[in-house]
Amino acid sequence: MLNPCSAADIQTIVHARIRAILEDRGDENIVIAGDDKLNATLGLTSMDLALLVSELEAELGVDPFAKLVSVTAVRSVDDLVAAYRLAFAPAAATPDDGLAEAARRAASRRARMTGG
Amino acid sequence: MSRTILISGGSRGLGAELVTGFRAQGCNVASFSRSKTAFIEAMEGSADFHWQAIDGRDHEAVHGFVNDTASRFGRVDVLVNNTGIATDSVLPLMRPDDIIDMVDTNLTAALLLAQSCSRVMLRQASGCIVNISSVNAIRGHEGVAVYSATKAALDGFTRSLARELGPRNIRVNSVAPGYFETDMVKGMEPAQMDRIARRTPLRRLARIEEIAAAVHFLASEQASFITGQTLVVDGGITC
Repeated sequence: MLNPCSAADIQTIVHARIRAILEDRGDENIVIAGDDKLNATLGLTSMDLALLVSELEAELGVDPFAKLVSVTAVRSVDDLVAAYRLAFAPAAATPDDGLAEAARRAASRRARMTGG
Repeated sequence: MSRTILISGGSRGLGAELVTGFRAQGCNVASFSRSKTAFIEAMEGSADFHWQAIDGRDHEAVHGFVNDTASRFGRVDVLVNNTGIATDSVLPLMRPDDIIDMVDTNLTAALLLAQSCSRVMLRQASGCIVNISSVNAIRGHEGVAVYSATKAALDGFTRSLARELGPRNIRVNSVAPGYFETDMVKGMEPAQMDRIARRTPLRRLARIEEIAAAVHFLASEQASFITGQTLVVDGGITC
C-alpha cells in the first residue's frame, strides 16, 4: 500500500470529484452509479477527465495512468475507481477484475483500428 | 498575489535572463537544470526562488519538481519550456545516440514538462505556456536538421495544445529566436557571425534581453488574447 486509503475511501473520493465537476458544469440532483459511463452517461469530455485525473493525483498522490493502466481502458465510474485501487494495491489486481476486462476491450479496439 | 513562473534550464543563457527578469517583476521563480552555476548559487536561500539539479529527461523527477513547485508557491502560472541543446552536424554523420538525445532533450522533455504543468494549470483554471522554438523551425539550414525537426515539432505542439487547453483558460505560444548573443553562438567563427548579421535586415544579432522581452510579453496580461502562435524574434532574417 502506498497510502492508507481503503477501497471504500477511494470510491467516495472519486465519486465526490466527479460530482464536483458535474456541479461546476451546472448539473443538479446528481446521482452517480458505478456502471455509469463517464462519457456516454455523465457527459464528461476528455478535458473533464484530464481535470479529474489531475485533481485525484493532487488528493491521493498517485496517477494510475502514468504507468499501470491505459486511460483508454477506463469507460465507467467503476473502471476509474478500480484504476485508483490498483494504484494503491497493484499486487491485489487479478486478471478477472473489471479493469482488466476493460483493458482487453481497449486493446481489441486499438488492434481493429490499426489493422493489427 | 505573486505569479509563479517555472523555467526549465534557468542556470545560464536565455533561461538565466528570464529568471532574473521574472524575479525583478516580483514573481516566484522555479527552475531546474543539470548543473548548478554561480548564477544559481547566488540566489539559493531566497524565498522566491526554487531550484533543483534535474536532468530534464528524467520525467519522474521533473513531474515531482512541478508538484513541489505547486505545493511551495501554491500554483504554477507560467511555464517557459526553455531547455534545449544544439549541435552542428549533418545528419548522415550524426551518431544515432546523439539524434535520440537531442529529440529527448528538445522535444520529449518539453512535452512531458508541459503535461505536468498543464495538470496544475487545469486545477487552477488558468495558465500560460511559452515554448522556446527557433527560426530553424521555419527555414532550413544545413547542419541542424535534427534540431530543426525538434523545434518545428514544438511549434506544432504549441498550436494543437492551444486548441486543447484554450477552453480551460490556458494559453500556449512559442517564441522563435534568431541568432542571439549567448553561449550557443560562442563557438561560431567571427566571419560566420558577420555573415548572419549581413543577411539580417536589422544587420545584427539579437541581444538576449530582446528575446526575453518576447517571452515576458507572451506571459503577460498584455497577451491575454494570444494563443497558438509562434512569435518570431529574428531581426527579419526569415521575412
